[in-house]
Amino acid sequence: MRIERLAIGAGKAVAIAAMLLWSLLPIGFIALSSVKPARDIFAVPPRIAFTPTLQHYTDLWLHWGSFFVGLCNSLIITAGATVLAVTASMLAGYAYSRHRSRAMSRSATFLVAVRLIPPIVITLPLFPIVNWLRLNDTHVILIILYATFFVSLGTLLMRGFIDQIPRELDEAACVDGAGPLVILWRIIVPLATQGMLAVAVFVIVFAWNEFLFAFIFISTRAKTAPLVISEMIGSFDGVDWGVLFAASTVQLLPVLIFVLCMQRYLVSGLTAGAVKG
Amino acid sequence: MRGQVRRGGQQAATWLFIAPVHALLLGVIVIPACYVVWLSLTASTFGRAPVFVGIANYLQVLGDSYFWRALGNTIIVVLIVVHVELLAGLGMALLFASGLPCRRFLLLAVLAPYAVSEVSAVVMWRYLFDPDIGPITTTLQALGLPTLDWTFSPTDGLLMVALLSVWLNLPFTFIVLYAARLAIPGDLYEAALVDGTTPLQSFRHVTLPLLAPAILMAMLFRYIIAFRLFSEVWLLTAGGPARSTEVVAVYLYNEAFRYNAFGPAATTGWLMVSVSLLLATGYIWGLRREMANAH
Repeated sequence: MRIERLAIGAGKAVAIAAMLLWSLLPIGFIALSSVKPARDIFAVPPRIAFTPTLQHYTDLWLHWGSFFVGLCNSLIITAGATVLAVTASMLAGYAYSRHRSRAMSRSATFLVAVRLIPPIVITLPLFPIVNWLRLNDTHVILIILYATFFVSLGTLLMRGFIDQIPRELDEAACVDGAGPLVILWRIIVPLATQGMLAVAVFVIVFAWNEFLFAFIFISTRAKTAPLVISEMIGSFDGVDWGVLFAASTVQLLPVLIFVLCMQRYLVSGLTAGAVKG
Repeated sequence: MRGQVRRGGQQAATWLFIAPVHALLLGVIVIPACYVVWLSLTASTFGRAPVFVGIANYLQVLGDSYFWRALGNTIIVVLIVVHVELLAGLGMALLFASGLPCRRFLLLAVLAPYAVSEVSAVVMWRYLFDPDIGPITTTLQALGLPTLDWTFSPTDGLLMVALLSVWLNLPFTFIVLYAARLAIPGDLYEAALVDGTTPLQSFRHVTLPLLAPAILMAMLFRYIIAFRLFSEVWLLTAGGPARSTEVVAVYLYNEAFRYNAFGPAATTGWLMVSVSLLLATGYIWGLRREMANAH
């Protein structure tokens, strides 16, 4: 019995170590290598003791100024997409929560179905339209695209959160003569902040990291950080690993810290979004 | 009378409230997706008006060996990625449910890759598996083990893509399964224990049947999403060498934006949508049933 216990404990320890290595090793490796002197980056075996240097970060600043412009663009686009997606989801989530009918539940199914269309497919017809509207290479087009791909999930999440707010509250306000917008703004929004945060986490992670749409619709003026990094990878043979690590670390750390802080909302959203729709 | 007016007002407000979401979805996704059907029946390139050509594009795409290669590659990667994720995710969910020290910290660690962009993940794994100087490659060599020759061998290239995809998406699959596992009432396990079942039996007769719907939904959802695979392949191998590691989305991109063949690209797109919707009907059917149960 005791041996069995020990064996289970050892098995668990091995499993935990494997999970940690798998999840954190790649991230840790590049974060650590970004402050390693160039000659130590590829030392065999990997060198743990080294004198930290900010050389790669200065190089990044000097040679890849476009990366920092990219970070600003990413920030603008992420903020815009988040505001748009959260607002639209909030409005629709409220309507779906308070008015249930056959038509409404059909259109909720439609929300899910639409999200299942692969994004790359719609780039084909959108490409000429976006050109024609002169929206190519602008922040606006990415804001609209990123928000659109998360309003379905956002709406269903918000509906779930607003369902938990008692209807009696809006009915009382209604008797007092408040219109739907006032009820939404004064009663629902303050009580549904958790849901709004959950939606925001998803949009932020997606918009900050997205590659495909940026790659297709953006050429110079609104380049996002991932797009600039992809260009750094693409400069074949001349890959300067140190600078690349510095850029990846800068792109990655803010959103990683953000996700870890908001993990609670993320988990509630992931489970609600995936399983319950 | 007043009640009716108010009712009408509310109805109008409801429609107004859902209008922005539906305007975005219709304008950006649904109408363009329908337009793709029309495009797939025409020959068109930049700046030229589309000309109707019937099913010529379908014949061309379905007769193109590169398309079948891309489809085969996609199916292989999707099957590997989704099933490895489900197995690993299930294992992790059970491990977490069995009680772990520092559970909160471990959960954070396991979720970390969710925050990583495809681009940064490619940087990490390219470096770790760099054929000449990557730490994992050199370690494997030092141990006398085979390495992943992903820049030359198509099989290794696809394996690398699968590895990267699993790394990026495992947190999602894990969380879904973990939540489903936590939703199983503890009484059931106590009852099973009283009946004298072994852990294996209680897994087989309690955990597995109760998790089955969640596993199935996660699987369908991941099939649909994994089928879109683009960035990982594009940034790792760009479909090379000699188009041998192309997947369907990369094939579509090349047709459209490299060869300016919008017709065949649209056809590929429409085939992608059909496969996705086919998988989706199962998914939505399951969701509706679950929603009906919830109310």
